[in-house]
Amino acid sequence: MIEARSLSKRYGDVVAVDAVDFTVGRGEVVGFLGPNGAGKTTTMRMLTGFLPPSDGTALIAGHDIFGDPLAARRAVGYLPESPPLYPEMTVERYLDYVARIKDVPRAKRREAVARAIERCGLKQVAWRVIGTLSKGFRQRVGLAQAIVHDPPVLILDEPTVGLDPLQIQEIRALIADLASPRQGENQHSVILSTHILAEVEAICRRVIMIHQGHKIVDAPLSELVAGGQTLEQLFAREITRDAGAAEARS
Amino acid sequence: MRHVTTVASRELRSLFVSPVAYGVMSLFAVLAGFFFLLSVGWFNTRLIQLQQFQMVEEMQQLNLNDHLLTFFYGDMTTLLLFLVPGITMGLFAAEKANGTQELLMTSPLTIWDIVLGKFLAGGLFVAALVGIAALYPVLLFVYGDPELGRSLTGLLGVMLVGWVYVAIGAFASSLTKSQVVAILISFVLMIVILLLPAVAGLGMVDAAPWVGEFFRYASSMTHFENLVKGVVDTSDLAYFAAVIAIFALMSKAAVESARWR
Repeated sequence: MIEARSLSKRYGDVVAVDAVDFTVGRGEVVGFLGPNGAGKTTTMRMLTGFLPPSDGTALIAGHDIFGDPLAARRAVGYLPESPPLYPEMTVERYLDYVARIKDVPRAKRREAVARAIERCGLKQVAWRVIGTLSKGFRQRVGLAQAIVHDPPVLILDEPTVGLDPLQIQEIRALIADLASPRQGENQHSVILSTHILAEVEAICRRVIMIHQGHKIVDAPLSELVAGGQTLEQLFAREITRDAGAAEARS
Repeated sequence: MRHVTTVASRELRSLFVSPVAYGVMSLFAVLAGFFFLLSVGWFNTRLIQLQQFQMVEEMQQLNLNDHLLTFFYGDMTTLLLFLVPGITMGLFAAEKANGTQELLMTSPLTIWDIVLGKFLAGGLFVAALVGIAALYPVLLFVYGDPELGRSLTGLLGVMLVGWVYVAIGAFASSLTKSQVVAILISFVLMIVILLLPAVAGLGMVDAAPWVGEFFRYASSMTHFENLVKGVVDTSDLAYFAAVIAIFALMSKAAVESARWR
């Protein structure tokens, strides 16, 4: 569903993402890990078509992000780090607007909005103005916005950052629920970026770890924790090892 | 292209849930009425003066178009100069501040869909303002007999000048995340365009007459005055189309530049 081919992003001399390759299959939920500033957000922005890669390309549901950018974007639901909300709109109007710009056909729009509201537990706030909602609800509206057009690919950038523990649990449960499709829905492939390791253990089955712009780990979660070590230990070890390797290279 | 109307209608809806749109509209209606009264008063004084001095020839030349509506339409463009930036300041800047720019640019929209949608929203709002302004000349038709054609071309002139201000304001908004900065940039750009004929009058451009000629052509007031006189020349219309197109192109480049940062 998602295929990154030596995806790179340079800002002048600074290499933010360095030839990252990976594939994510249909229905897979992948945790995208790395310390702050590792290039997670930049990679995701390239996959969603917000930033053009300096080098390499990516296929989203078979559409090249350069060759057919509109089809590729249609196949992605994206929740950026801060949910892209219009504070003056009501939840339902906002989702209807998103459905329009995501090319949901007119006949299916009402149904699509109702489904997104239902799945994200927004029924009791559907007619509230977004600006008056709590942070947890706003995050849910952000998720609803990402799934309203039932895209095969979901890209979520730190979806639980800044929430309280209870809200974190709710959002995690919601993401886990979104990953398993209901009848008549697309099976979502999910990439979830985070630096909270417990989140990965709770939701993801596979882990891709990046550090300073390159991929250092890409393996199923079960394999990584097989030796009895925790994800924390593994994370620290891999990053120290990569930092050492970087020093040796230079 | 149908996304243009989607973007525009969302924009207008948002304008009308905030107090800004209502504030601008009522302020415009009140001030337009004030300037209309002022123009009527001035016309009246002039008429009385001419009667007192028995200036028959001048009295025959006195008419509602030259001696009332011309001033009123001029005042309307000044009002728009101050009010339009209040409407356009948020067009692009608010999307950046909300983070919704990322939503727009990862949706299957082209940059042109976004830019033209914003321009359309601003243009329709100005059309509504011109609609309010048009109520006052209608009063003149009830009590007097101005020329219909000239009154209408003058209104068209007010609308076109307003659209140029929308284009300038939208461009200013596309440059920044802050609405305050957007409003300041719009004022600077508008005043530069407004002052061009004054610059053309300065001695220094006498050396190269085409420079003065160019400055006069580049000012929207030159073309506005032709329309108020009742002259609909394609070169004037082409001027307005060109200026709006130039600012649309620059806005498109500014919006697109978010991808290259």
